[in-house]
Amino acid sequence: MVTLTTSDNEQFTVDKDVAERSVLIKQMLEDIGDTDQPIPLPNVSSNVLKKVLEYCSHHRGDPPPPADDAEESRRRTTDISEWDSRFIQVDQEMLFEIILAANYLDIKPLLDVGCKTVANMIKGKTPEEIRKLFNIQNDFTPEEEAQIRKENEWAEDR
Amino acid sequence: MASSAPSTSATRLPPAHDLGATWSFLEPGIELMMTRLTEGMTYQRYMELYTVAYNHCTSSRMASPASNSDLGGLGAGGSSKSGANLVGADLYNCLIRYFQTHLAGVRKGADSLTDEPLLKYYASEWDRYTTGANFVHRLFAYLNRHWVKREKDEGRKHVYTVYTLALVQWKEHMFKHVQTKGRLVNALLKQIEKQRNGEVIETSLVKKVVDSLVSLGLDEVDTNRQNLEVYRSEFEKPFLEATELYYTNESDAFVSQNSATDYMKKAESRLKEEEDRVELYLHASTRTKLIPCCDTVLVRRHASMLWDEFQTLLDLDKAEDLYRTYTLLSRIVEGLEPLRTKFEAHVKRVGLAAVEKVAGANADGLEPGAYVNALLEVYRNNYNTVMASFRGEAGFLASLDKACRDFVNRNKATGTSTSKSPELLAKHTDALLKKSNKTSEESSLEDALNDVMTVFRYIEDKDVFQKFYSKMLAKRLVNFASSSDDAEANMISRLKEACGYEYTSKLQRMFTDMGLSKELNDNFKESMAKTHDKSELDIDFYALVLANGFWPLQAPQSDFSIPTELLPTYQRFERYYAAKHSGRKLTWLWQLSKNELKTNYLAQKLQFQTSTYQSAILLQYNTNDSLTLEELMSATGLNEQTIKPALAVMVKAKVLVLEGGDSYEINEDFKSKKMRVNLNLPVKAEQKAESTDVMKTVDEDRKLLLQATIVRIMKSRKTLKHSQLIQEVVSQVSARFQPKVPDIKKAIDQLIDKEYLERVDGQKDMYSYLA
Repeated sequence: MVTLTTSDNEQFTVDKDVAERSVLIKQMLEDIGDTDQPIPLPNVSSNVLKKVLEYCSHHRGDPPPPADDAEESRRRTTDISEWDSRFIQVDQEMLFEIILAANYLDIKPLLDVGCKTVANMIKGKTPEEIRKLFNIQNDFTPEEEAQIRKENEWAEDR
Repeated sequence: MASSAPSTSATRLPPAHDLGATWSFLEPGIELMMTRLTEGMTYQRYMELYTVAYNHCTSSRMASPASNSDLGGLGAGGSSKSGANLVGADLYNCLIRYFQTHLAGVRKGADSLTDEPLLKYYASEWDRYTTGANFVHRLFAYLNRHWVKREKDEGRKHVYTVYTLALVQWKEHMFKHVQTKGRLVNALLKQIEKQRNGEVIETSLVKKVVDSLVSLGLDEVDTNRQNLEVYRSEFEKPFLEATELYYTNESDAFVSQNSATDYMKKAESRLKEEEDRVELYLHASTRTKLIPCCDTVLVRRHASMLWDEFQTLLDLDKAEDLYRTYTLLSRIVEGLEPLRTKFEAHVKRVGLAAVEKVAGANADGLEPGAYVNALLEVYRNNYNTVMASFRGEAGFLASLDKACRDFVNRNKATGTSTSKSPELLAKHTDALLKKSNKTSEESSLEDALNDVMTVFRYIEDKDVFQKFYSKMLAKRLVNFASSSDDAEANMISRLKEACGYEYTSKLQRMFTDMGLSKELNDNFKESMAKTHDKSELDIDFYALVLANGFWPLQAPQSDFSIPTELLPTYQRFERYYAAKHSGRKLTWLWQLSKNELKTNYLAQKLQFQTSTYQSAILLQYNTNDSLTLEELMSATGLNEQTIKPALAVMVKAKVLVLEGGDSYEINEDFKSKKMRVNLNLPVKAEQKAESTDVMKTVDEDRKLLLQATIVRIMKSRKTLKHSQLIQEVVSQVSARFQPKVPDIKKAIDQLIDKEYLERVDGQKDMYSYLA
């Protein structure tokens, strides 16, 4: 068993293989060795870690992530499995927190699920709609914006 | 180790933007990982270090998560402003400086060291350094994964993941210093030389240092790919030079004081040692350079000595040393060719000597069995040498075959005649297959026939063998002298296998005739028993009906009046056969037929085994006691040439007594220890004539075969040059015999006369086929 301590000082005790879905934790345990010390995670809060551990428990038995070549094809698709899509149905703030935590803990598949979800949110929307969705201020001058449109014309969906 | 509560630790982490504070926090941790591994580290410390590095690398985004000022920089790429993707360069440079300072200290420790102490120091520092660097590498996983990856993706050279960076620094700031003037590699080479001299060295130490040289080969383009540049240029090259020098000196010194056979043992064990050395501590790819290098010095350099020694070893039949010679010389290009040549000459010499020994002074009285056995023994001994000492290598087998073909066909016993060997072999086979053969146990007969085939393979004039063989087979069959039908069939099928259907078709046919005859006689007897009274059939009778043209038999050279006693049987068979096969003509080969006669005129009841001619003579004495040659000839119808040998045997056996030079009397006092008296003995002069007869038919057949072959070739080629035609004929016919070119020319001329071919007008030496 491994004990994890969150930034808000809450402790979670989980099976080692669940914790080791995080490459960070896995490699640290390999390098330093097993002890019963708790592992502090200063960048993750308890409500986020709870979600992340839910993901890790569900995926504890998954095969190791594929090698680099296969990774490309994995990234191209925006498909998300049924369990994962239900799992990721959270509010926008939690979604970003999960992405940050996955990045920090180095849990590649979870990072992918988060990023794909964001990508699906953006898909098919106009720049203005996207700005609204993510609360982004438009700081381009009309000239700059025309220039960018021209440069990216090839990507327009017509 | 610090074990403060997590909540306080989070607060004492340095601000992510502050590089100075960040590095000051990280450096002691890195130093701990690099130098004092055994002290260990708490999870908390590790997580703090990781988090600080992480926070720094993600700092710009962390600082203003909702700001979109960064997004503008992404498309432009090379923005000097702080884009999220660019944070890390400062940290990376701090790491470089750290490794450089660290290595300056490590390097100092090696300054006064050489030889083994240097290797020991280098190896243990390498171990420590690489292990530590591995930890640091993982600690900076985030830097590797994002900043380094982005830099490399954008094509920047000389940016590496942290572990590779550590190696690059080692190569530059450690390795280059200890390898100045080859110091490190010289220490390695010294250890290897010590081991070659028989001293015990710490091979794991050598292996570790060599492995580090392999690791230091870093491919600029793809760090995952192995690049042996450092290993090759810094170590392998001087190592190979040292090897060459070492073995040149050693082998030259050894050869000057030891025998060639001892040298071979030495070289063999040295080569084995070097093979093992690769396994022990070199990179596997060095094998393909080290072994040829050793082969050149240890084998090529002394090859002529080994070649010279070879003959002695053959003469003394030193199987092990021969094997060693073979294996050593097989390592170098063209090393075996001189051996093959010598071996061929050797086999030929031994073969000729063996024949000379059995042939002795008198080649004519040579016993076929002894001759064949002499050939076989030479073949067998040398075949064993090839298999045992030369691993059955094809080139040596070819040399053996060539030599055997030579001495089997041309030796003391054959003189210049190429037909002598096939004749002797056929005679030997005849002896094996005859009833009188003593070694008729099935397995040994099988072996003996195998041996016959072994020699047969080497016979050049296979057609001569066939002639003699069929003649002797005919005799065995006609005289019922075969030891077994199975053995005969067995031999024929072996010949068929070796030379094809055509070669044995006549032999096969002869065999078939024997079976047909048996059937015919059975039917004849049955049919006669139905139509005749028993008293009429008081003579046992058996006729072999043999197809003309398949049997090497000739019609009698004399007239013959069939004795009245035999006449009814003769007539009955003639009638029976004519009725069965109308139109076929029987020629009675009286000279080959034989009888058994019972005596009533002597005190003993004896049985005479006689030829039919002798029977005809003896039957005359049923009515006379004394007859002149003249009278006998007119009574039997035999001519003088035929009747004289028949009489001579009976006079010699004292059945008849020659009175007054012309009158033959029956000897009524004849006595014999045996109940059966064989009077049907071959006449010596006949045997001699037989050989020359056979050769005459062989020559006839050869002329026909040559003509047939030429016609066959020309029919398919239409036109052909003289030289090409000759070549074709030789290659097609040589399975049967070695044709002489003048004979082929003669055959061509005959075919031109017969208008099968013509010379092409205006073209020299060109023939064309006339359909």
